[in-house]
Amino acid sequence: MTIDSLDPEDVDAADILGSAIERREDPALLTGNAEYTDDIQLDGMLHMAVVRSQYGHARLEDIDTSEAEAMEGVHGVYTYEDLTSDETPGGGSFALPTAWLLDSLEQVPHPVLASEKVRHQGDGIAVVVAEDRYTARDAAGAVDVAYERLDAVVHPSEAFADDAERLHDDAEGNVAFDWEIGDAEKTADAFADASHTASIDLENQLLIANAMEPRAAVAEYNPGTDELEVAMTTQNPHVHRLLMAGVIGHPEHKLSVRAPDVGGGFGSKIHHYADEALVAWCSMMHEAPVKWTATRSETYLTDAPGRGHETKAEIAMDDDGNIVGLRVDTMANMGAYLSTFAPAVPTYLYGTLLSGQYDIPAIYGHVKGAFTNVPPVDAYRGAGRPEASFLVERLVHLGAKEVGMDPVEFRKRNFVPDDAFPYETQVAVVYDSGEYGKPMDEALELLDYENFREEQERARDEGTYLGVGFSCYIEACGLAPSELAGQLGAQAGLWESSLVRMHPSGTVTAYCGTSGHGQGHGTTYAQIVANELGVPYDSVEVVEGDTDEIPQGMGTYGSRSAAVGGSSLVKSAQKVVEKGKEIAAHQLEADPDDIEFENGEYSVAGAPARSMSMADVAGAAYLAHDIPAEMEPGLEATSFYDPENFVFPFGTHAAIVEVDPDSGEIEIERYVAVDDVGNQINPKIVEGQIHGGIAQGVGQALYEGAEYDDNATLLTGSMQDYAVPKAEHIPEMETESTVTPSPHNPLGVKGVGEAGTIAAPQAIVNAVADALEPFGVDHIDMPMDAESVWSAVQANATADGGAEPAGDDADPGGER
Amino acid sequence: MEFSGTFELEDTTVDEVWLALSDPVLVQESLPGCTFLLHVEAEEADFDELGEQAEGMDRELTNDPEVIAGRAFREGERYAALMQVSVGPVNPTFETVVTIDERDRPRMHASGEGSSGDSSFEMSSSMALSETEDGDGVAVEWETEADVFGKVAGMGQRVINPVANRIVKRFFSSVQEELHDLGVEAVSSSDGDESDDRSLVDRVLGRSKSTDSE
Repeated sequence: MTIDSLDPEDVDAADILGSAIERREDPALLTGNAEYTDDIQLDGMLHMAVVRSQYGHARLEDIDTSEAEAMEGVHGVYTYEDLTSDETPGGGSFALPTAWLLDSLEQVPHPVLASEKVRHQGDGIAVVVAEDRYTARDAAGAVDVAYERLDAVVHPSEAFADDAERLHDDAEGNVAFDWEIGDAEKTADAFADASHTASIDLENQLLIANAMEPRAAVAEYNPGTDELEVAMTTQNPHVHRLLMAGVIGHPEHKLSVRAPDVGGGFGSKIHHYADEALVAWCSMMHEAPVKWTATRSETYLTDAPGRGHETKAEIAMDDDGNIVGLRVDTMANMGAYLSTFAPAVPTYLYGTLLSGQYDIPAIYGHVKGAFTNVPPVDAYRGAGRPEASFLVERLVHLGAKEVGMDPVEFRKRNFVPDDAFPYETQVAVVYDSGEYGKPMDEALELLDYENFREEQERARDEGTYLGVGFSCYIEACGLAPSELAGQLGAQAGLWESSLVRMHPSGTVTAYCGTSGHGQGHGTTYAQIVANELGVPYDSVEVVEGDTDEIPQGMGTYGSRSAAVGGSSLVKSAQKVVEKGKEIAAHQLEADPDDIEFENGEYSVAGAPARSMSMADVAGAAYLAHDIPAEMEPGLEATSFYDPENFVFPFGTHAAIVEVDPDSGEIEIERYVAVDDVGNQINPKIVEGQIHGGIAQGVGQALYEGAEYDDNATLLTGSMQDYAVPKAEHIPEMETESTVTPSPHNPLGVKGVGEAGTIAAPQAIVNAVADALEPFGVDHIDMPMDAESVWSAVQANATADGGAEPAGDDADPGGER
Repeated sequence: MEFSGTFELEDTTVDEVWLALSDPVLVQESLPGCTFLLHVEAEEADFDELGEQAEGMDRELTNDPEVIAGRAFREGERYAALMQVSVGPVNPTFETVVTIDERDRPRMHASGEGSSGDSSFEMSSSMALSETEDGDGVAVEWETEADVFGKVAGMGQRVINPVANRIVKRFFSSVQEELHDLGVEAVSSSDGDESDDRSLVDRVLGRSKSTDSE
């Protein structure tokens, strides 16, 4: 189903919440009127460029900046020594902090500029400040760095090898952490008693986020007031303000961080990188505005990649096909240093989802984080949850095969039953609500599953290999209940804050501490607030992404904006309505308990003629000529909403593919997605998020992967070499939804930002494995390019002496 | 990354080609983008100094085996080259130092590294000469293993491979041309009367023609 956008004029005020109204932010984005960070031009603005390591791993022997400093137009060249010198602005740590800790975490130093050693290609060594960006870059090229190259490691398994070169003196064996979840003993017993087991070795490859807009920052320091304003590409300005204050040593209240329009993030703009802090420092150093915009090449070299797991996992079943145990051993790539939230991603955002949609009585997960010479790895759309869902759904596919059951029947048998919610898993989370059979049934109907199986049989007889793959995913989002997050290692609360302000004329500005970067918060938040206040949608303006305007906030990631930010707006708006009620009661000379509020009108119960509109109440609140004694004038309210629990969206995605065993090519014939993201504020935006998410999931399944050579030099450092899927690579998507509201937030929403990315890869890999079942192919690592598919078919054909599908005269071994 | 290939030179002999490839001057002239190629005497190759030295030198292409023998590559010695390469949109100039690890007719092996500001490479290269099957020419089998770093590496193998292949092709074409123009011809027997240099073919060359023979 494709949802049609509606003009808000055509939607009744009472229906505004839940309507597919068109995004109000699009005209500016589409006509070039949006203002991105790089669009900002300030008088006397200088430009910064970064001298970056050309090696994945090397000791720095000498940094000669003299030639660069002598170049015309160059205002300064700085190394780590300069940052920490007494002569320059400072007092900061000049090291990037880690905001999520684990008991076993090896917190290695991460200086904003390398001083002794560089640990990944692109590691910053010096910065140049010059009159224009070209001069800055030329001068950066003129900085002469003498290196002693060291051996590099790319994959965790290499990093853990006995003879591996060590990255950090303190991290013995390159181990960043060693973490476990679940019950090892109970799980071992379950495996010992099991009738059937299946196992898999897989790699979940490193991905590069590829936000359309590269990272950028413009900082302006005012020496008169000591105020430092930073405009930057950020998903969480308040978090960046807090972290940056410590890094550069400038007080938080004298630092403001603003996100202009941001062209996508997918997680990569959550983290605090060195570059933005260096721009801020350079602005203080020169008492002038300074700008830096990453080139696309810098984006490839320095944006935090995501995923990067090497995993061995097993599933155990009893005779009836019940899952009795699941065991996972993962080596997670952390890259050269610990990025901002990196330790959470392969641990609490991963291990806690190992139960999938299934009632599994025994689970054990073990994860070892590795320091390697790739850029620091951190959250990328889905962050930990796609890795979990991928391996659970791959195991379930193999488990069904092992016990000889249809994969659908096997899944249904093992789903958490509808009456078991709230359901506590063996891996430390409580699923809020779910009806896992519903999206599955809907998907089966869309697929016409029974008929497909018959068609698949017929096609095989004719030498055509079709396959269907399912992905019954679950994700934990709406990050996060602060107390729980704190117990798990977060160094921050994960509540959200908002302010709803009625203006005297009756219009509204709603401020929220999230920071949209393409999601359409301006539209959805206005829908929420208009609905609560009963004011016209067009009377509500939404403000995000500016620490000077919004009291506090935690930003946008982890599909949290609607569930946490939206809920906060509901609470603020309800406080406004409550205060308004007292004003209305006073003016209407009634008891506040007798005042009813509906569709923006306050009226006296039983006497509807005695009423006041929200706008009139706002006017009265600011006039303050006649409001209750003791009441403060004005009409606005702030709230801090801390969610009770995560929210757990779920759904079933299914792909039908045709695989050509001779060429290794994969064609996605159909892609069906049935998602349950709880209540939908705007179904068109939900659909868009699902579409985009699936596109990225298809990218991981078939095209994308960050490849490094043995020296940890990036081989896929451009759009020519790193295959971001294009429109022609994306299948037609058939999307439907079911609605199971979250019981614990006022909107009943579950979050949709990451669902498609989490769900898609395993649907496609399972479909390819299903198609190649006659060839004995159980698994192909992603990205499944034609060569790897062809090789897998060949390898099995050779191993099995050319296994032939039943009833197929054709030679399936690829020798036709 | 690894590159390899075979290049066939027509109308020549193994000895002639060996002689040509033994001459730093001819190699310098034939290498596209090479400003100079000089023996490194000092501990460290100082490219500013070497550049000045190159300007002050008067070395000409010759077909005189005696002259070539005097300046021929020697095993165990280091040579410095300044080379500009066009890789996609960038034109880095590499300061390159190569050590001749082995020089034993008809095989040569060299290794070295080059750097250019934000890019660098390390390489190990070998080549072997043999008579072609028709006996009319020489086949040069070459292979290079190179690690490329920095901005140039970021261009990706798809860009670098054709560049490497183009350089090799132009180099050997140019060698072929020089051989022809100079009329270098080598005799196949050695009289070996001078020098302790074991790179015999430098010394095997008797006959010479005038350079304007064409």
